[in-house]
Amino acid sequence: MTMLLAAEHVKKTYRLGKVAVPVLRDASMTVAEGEWVSIVGSSGSGKSTLLHLLGGLDRPDADSGPIRFNGADLRAFGPARQNHYRNRDVGFVFQFYHLLPELTVLENAMLPALVGLSRLRWLGERSALRDRTAELLKTCGLSHRLGHRPAELSGGERQRVAIARALINEPKVLLADEPTGNLDVRTGSGILDLLAERQAAGLTLVMVTHDESVAARAHRRVRIADGAVEH
Amino acid sequence: MYAPLLANRYLTSRIIPFIAVAAVALCVALVIIVVSVMSGFLDMVRESGKTLIGDVVVSRDITGIPYYEELIRDIEALPEAEAASPIIETYGLLQMPYGTSDGGSSIETVQVWGIDPATLDRVTEYRGKLYWAKPTDEAARTMLPDDPRLDPMYQRQAEGFALATAEGQPGLVTGIEISPFNRRTTDGSYRTESPLGKQDAGFFLPNTSGATLTLVPVTDRGSLGGEKKRRFAIVNEFQSGVYQIDAQRVLAPIAVVQEMLRLDRAPIVSPDELDENGRPKVVGESPARATTIVVKAAAGVSPARLRDAVNACYSQFVDRKLGERGLRVLPPPMVSVATWEERLADLIGPVQKEREMMRILFSIVYVVCAALVLAIFWAIVQEKTRDIGILRAVGASRVGVLWIFLRYGLLIGVVGSMLGVLLAWGIVARLNDIHDLLGMPAATWLKVLAWVACAGGLALTVRGLVRASALHTVFWFFATVALVAIGVALTLHRGFLVWDPSVYYFSRIPTRIDLFTATTTMVGGIVFSVIGAAIPAARAADTDPVKSLRYE
Repeated sequence: MTMLLAAEHVKKTYRLGKVAVPVLRDASMTVAEGEWVSIVGSSGSGKSTLLHLLGGLDRPDADSGPIRFNGADLRAFGPARQNHYRNRDVGFVFQFYHLLPELTVLENAMLPALVGLSRLRWLGERSALRDRTAELLKTCGLSHRLGHRPAELSGGERQRVAIARALINEPKVLLADEPTGNLDVRTGSGILDLLAERQAAGLTLVMVTHDESVAARAHRRVRIADGAVEH
Repeated sequence: MYAPLLANRYLTSRIIPFIAVAAVALCVALVIIVVSVMSGFLDMVRESGKTLIGDVVVSRDITGIPYYEELIRDIEALPEAEAASPIIETYGLLQMPYGTSDGGSSIETVQVWGIDPATLDRVTEYRGKLYWAKPTDEAARTMLPDDPRLDPMYQRQAEGFALATAEGQPGLVTGIEISPFNRRTTDGSYRTESPLGKQDAGFFLPNTSGATLTLVPVTDRGSLGGEKKRRFAIVNEFQSGVYQIDAQRVLAPIAVVQEMLRLDRAPIVSPDELDENGRPKVVGESPARATTIVVKAAAGVSPARLRDAVNACYSQFVDRKLGERGLRVLPPPMVSVATWEERLADLIGPVQKEREMMRILFSIVYVVCAALVLAIFWAIVQEKTRDIGILRAVGASRVGVLWIFLRYGLLIGVVGSMLGVLLAWGIVARLNDIHDLLGMPAATWLKVLAWVACAGGLALTVRGLVRASALHTVFWFFATVALVAIGVALTLHRGFLVWDPSVYYFSRIPTRIDLFTATTTMVGGIVFSVIGAAIPAARAADTDPVKSLRYE
């Protein structure tokens, strides 16, 4: 299998005023293309931080080892390449959905595509993009909610919109941070089914969870404790 | 492509942008209204001054300028001058034909101008200032149906222009504010009313028995001659627009005033020699005099250029007269030659200073407004910190995020500034109506409406209490307090005068928008809005996406 993502001896320290708080001390892991990996660990163990670093939302310490995507070191990415990485190569799903309240379901889902489009291309591709987003939302079971605002949706529906948003640019890897953490068991199970479908279709999936039953659905589990990956 | 979508949504889906738009609009309107009124006031002072005295004024004290007719011919021959007219300026007593409470006559001190209407009209458009005249068809259409000027009886332009009655008796044209029977209405026109407040043609141009003008001649040695009284018919009234002039000035035929002040042509007699009839021997002639000559500049000639030309012309005039033999009276070597602006410096100067002071004061207000806009934007962007994190997480660049809020600020600035200009225009255009409304007691229907609204507010406050809604209760409580305050104010309001013509010179508040101020203020409103949005947005765009996403 081709190695898609790799973290090698990654370190991350946050500063709280003058106090340095090391969150990741020595985290190494790999994710192969098409694989479903769960990162598990207790609260504060650093699993979300590792996911943010893998997704380019945050940068590791200066003395940290590299994070590689398709062999390229994320630390070497300039701002434009990093934005492109977040926009096209990875998709994020958060525990608290993080939808924009002013936009409709359709607009929220197509937001990453809009970010990557110039005005000129938008004029040319507007209709096709709308159709593609509507189709994607239909596969997520939201065809009847396209014009609704997030406030009008249930938690499960909001998370489906967030998944559609993460998938709209057809990223190579989906990074999900406790995607069922805010949902009841039945709704959470539906979300996992949706993710499993996508993964089965070839999507690489990295999911952070503290729930062992959720983690059990992944191909592989990576356990993290005290800022280090246990092997 | 996401920037316009989000900027538009942020603008239309929350209340806070509307507060920001209102803040920008009010700031812009405030500055435009104040500076427009001040600038309009200054313009009115300048224009009125100019139209009253022409471009350049040649003047001397009460002893007058001899051979003024000759000087006027010289001035009119200048290529810089279009027309010139003689005036005699003095003060006198005007005994009006209406009585005082104790049965006497009302006597007022007035500024008397002896004028030649025909030549003055060429310099200052005198004819157009006569109030009781036949209106043009266009003007008649805009007049109220009860405007007396629509009645031929009130159309006295011919008499006013001749400064004489139809029978040829010398007449006076008085300022429109001198007669107490002229009442200015809200549209700026006048009605002649009896002391009981009823429109009454009998009080038009106090014409029952004419007015008596008393002037005191002054010799060139400064001693007073015996006072001269003369009865005149009041043949018309004039409106210059400057209250002080309309309330004090009386126009009379120059020949009559010259005669009363002994400034007319007269023989000079020898104190020692007698002629063959045993009378003092005539040894020469004293020419007629005028104290002032007003001059109108030719098209395209500045007042300063005309002043210099008139100065040179006067020097040549004096040289020529000094060279003439047998003259018993010589022109003074120096007279005052000033442009209208120099002549009215004491009137224009303070207004200019006041306007500049207002500009400085309102610049400070403007900075406060800018801080207000900044504070509102800070709150808006702070509220959107998490959205910024989301956008950064899906690949939006810092510049892209910044652009959203710059667009947002630009939209708020443009919409707010345009509304501000419209609001200012609406208020400035209707300023006199608003002022006139303030000058009258509130209409009964308005008072009733205010108290009905109070009752409604109270009912809604009680409803809020019953439903245990803190928001409704608090909102309607304060709304009711405000409505009660309005109701009390309307009930107690008896009308008050803010713009007192006797203080501010003009009977009407200027209602012209200062375009320069409107444009600069509008641009300023937009720039401040963009800056107000840019600073907090740049700060937010610089924040790490992870921190922004965690922001609560």
